[in-house]
Amino acid sequence: MNSILLVFAGILAVCLPASATQCNVNPVQIPKDWITMHRSCRNSMRQQIQMEVGASLQYLAMGAHFSKDVVNRPGFAQLFFDAASEEREHAMKLIEYLLMRGELTNDVSSLLQVRPPTRSSWKGGVEALEHALSMESDVTKSIRNVIKACEDDSEFNDYHLVDYLTGDFLEEQYKGQRDLAGKASTLKKLMDRHEALGEFIFDKKLLGIDV
Amino acid sequence: MKMLILAVSCLLAITGSLAADTCYNDVALDCGITSNSLALPRCNAVYGEYGSHGNVATELQAYAKLHLERSYDYLLSAAYFNNYQTNRAGFSKLFKKLSDEAWSKTIDIIKHVTKRGDKMNFDQHSTMKTERKNYTAENHELEALAKALDTQKELAERAFYIHREATRNSQHLHDPEIAQYLEEEFIEDHAEKIRTLAGHTSDLKKFITANNGHDLSLALYVFDEYLQKTV
Repeated sequence: MNSILLVFAGILAVCLPASATQCNVNPVQIPKDWITMHRSCRNSMRQQIQMEVGASLQYLAMGAHFSKDVVNRPGFAQLFFDAASEEREHAMKLIEYLLMRGELTNDVSSLLQVRPPTRSSWKGGVEALEHALSMESDVTKSIRNVIKACEDDSEFNDYHLVDYLTGDFLEEQYKGQRDLAGKASTLKKLMDRHEALGEFIFDKKLLGIDV
Repeated sequence: MKMLILAVSCLLAITGSLAADTCYNDVALDCGITSNSLALPRCNAVYGEYGSHGNVATELQAYAKLHLERSYDYLLSAAYFNNYQTNRAGFSKLFKKLSDEAWSKTIDIIKHVTKRGDKMNFDQHSTMKTERKNYTAENHELEALAKALDTQKELAERAFYIHREATRNSQHLHDPEIAQYLEEEFIEDHAEKIRTLAGHTSDLKKFITANNGHDLSLALYVFDEYLQKTV
């Protein structure tokens, strides 16, 4: 019975092609000469987006670590959860930029992957801050490589993207790095002779509590 | 004396009673012993039988992971609807909002995992077999709404599953704290979202077939404008 139905449905499908329900509007053609980004620049931007996503996941793992009952550093946890959200926002900003330039019309799904973060525990606040700092240095280095790829193209120097990355992204990277470096040295000095108490007080300071 | 306390606490552990005094016993045992460290292994946030029986603890980790993955899936859809060809700002806004919500829930669940004395495991899979691979963002409007509706149901049914595990009538599995966390933070909101998305697909369904399909392109434009104003 089922197979008869199937055959019947098949015949219907062949005989009545005009009755197929169309659920979407047909694509339209728009001039493309305004879409000017070059391949190596585009690819390095795509890699950068994946890198920001990876950083967001690593920061999530840091937030999780400092939230543990046996670690109990809510100030650090908050710092790193906020950093995770910031990295996600960086990825979104880069995506917005590509969209503005006429990109991401058909190769969106392969843009990013969610892979578990590589590291899940740190000896203490200092180690985590130093890890964060070296992660940010890697991101900065990678942004510089995107800039190079977008600037050195002999046929098309992508001035605007280079300016955007230099002005917005590098600016934020350098400020963020300075902030992490400052926090790491203050904490290290605090912990010189008063390890446990130093980290406790610093953690509360991060929460905005004056102990 | 210390040996006696140790013997008593071991006996308590063997009989499986949920002794409330174990951290206190650790303190009593370890303080005063010549050593410069305190282990106090039972001074932690674990209570009930969270993490030692059943799969509620691992399911909660997997639930955080699921939100994380869906959050980035939704972000891709938001991006796709904002390219110059699709140019549906309303649909993009809808997916951006779903992505933001899934992201903040990810952080919230991770915090809850640690609230119960556990650690977060980003590799944890659920025992509920609904995992799908490779998200596709390049969908037309109705397909995208359908995918969103399915995804919200996936999140909702996973919450039901964990809730069921947490409310099984057994001394070892019953965890009302997790049950109430799911009810408070997820379950009501899921019903709301699923109903809204189902309503959207009903509207689009009518537009697509109305007037022999001639309304389609204008309907999608108007519906996108509607989403821009209401999401």
